Amino acid sequence: MNDPGNIDPALLKDWMVKYICGVLGLDRASFSTADRFDVYGLDSVEAVIMAGVMEEEFQVVVDPHQFFDTPSVDEFVAAFTAPPG
Amino acid sequence: MPRVTLVVISYEMARELPRTLLSLSPSYQGLSAGDYEIIVVDNASRVPPRAEDFATLNADLKVLRCTRPTHSPVNAINEGLAHAKAGLVGVWIDGARMASPGLVRAALAAAALHPRPVVATLNYQLGPELQRISSAQGYDRALEDGLLESIGWPMDGYRLFEIATPEMRGGPQAAMLESNGLFLPRALWDELGGYDAAFDEPGGGVVNPDTLIRAVALPGTQLVRILGEGTFHQVHGGLSTSTQDRALAMLKQASKVYLRLRGKPLVPVRQRGWTYDSRSGEVAR
Repeated sequence: MNDPGNIDPALLKDWMVKYICGVLGLDRASFSTADRFDVYGLDSVEAVIMAGVMEEEFQVVVDPHQFFDTPSVDEFVAAFTAPPG
Repeated sequence: MPRVTLVVISYEMARELPRTLLSLSPSYQGLSAGDYEIIVVDNASRVPPRAEDFATLNADLKVLRCTRPTHSPVNAINEGLAHAKAGLVGVWIDGARMASPGLVRAALAAAALHPRPVVATLNYQLGPELQRISSAQGYDRALEDGLLESIGWPMDGYRLFEIATPEMRGGPQAAMLESNGLFLPRALWDELGGYDAAFDEPGGGVVNPDTLIRAVALPGTQLVRILGEGTFHQVHGGLSTSTQDRALAMLKQASKVYLRLRGKPLVPVRQRGWTYDSRSGEVAR
């Protein structure tokens, strides 16, 4: 497993945008990474599924609760890739 | 010849299965015993249910023991499908789910709307919250028994809605992950190849969502969601409803298995499809 702190935040953000837009059928051009997940209809079940897919993609451990604690792409990426401590 | 077969899977459900079968019985569903058959396939319970225990239901009911039991229900489901005689077959992957009183009639009516129907019923869970949440707050079998008593069940089965929580928080036309009571014509089940045995995890992982997704993806099929009826999960320590952490961990792991098996992320069914309102008979296309 990789250390989340080693993931390029821009890469993770891009992946999340692509994933969410793909799943929800949204236009990437108008997608705001500052919006809460529930604003564009990503529910808790789909957030948990995204955690699993993210683990496969980046070989990291993703606690689904993190999506609930930091409920936007911007907030999640910042918290997830931040150095520990 | 029955018009519809219900395949009900049981595993260690001595408390829950009798209520489920009562809710599927002819008198509760307002049908005659000849209209449908119920096939219970037990997936290796320590004390398997017996058909004679349910003789008073006056149903065309048989109890089979899965010949190749595993910790996944898939083999049990597919054995049940193989025994089904009716032209329309509904699968109850979880025998702990009671039905509302018009569900079987609604499934028959909804299936008649299209030559290749995929008829999905909506999932509810008994109690004030989804059981993975309410269990942590003390919801248990005793409280559930009290709730059922409080509505006088089974006198008016529609009162189940008063003591239940819908699994689809976005409403009946929101994205649908799965349907416990999933009805397809016999030919469509054959076309689909039944449930996919590759989902061999405990509980089958996301084999039920996978089946719904594959069914609506078959050429020319029409999703029909039934409104006004539902299936109601009794708490029994199942994998996806026991505790919040366990449910999240199970879904996360299962979504990874799905990705490996299907090469794409698990995405709930977003197409609204048609709706059939069992109370009014109204069809929205």
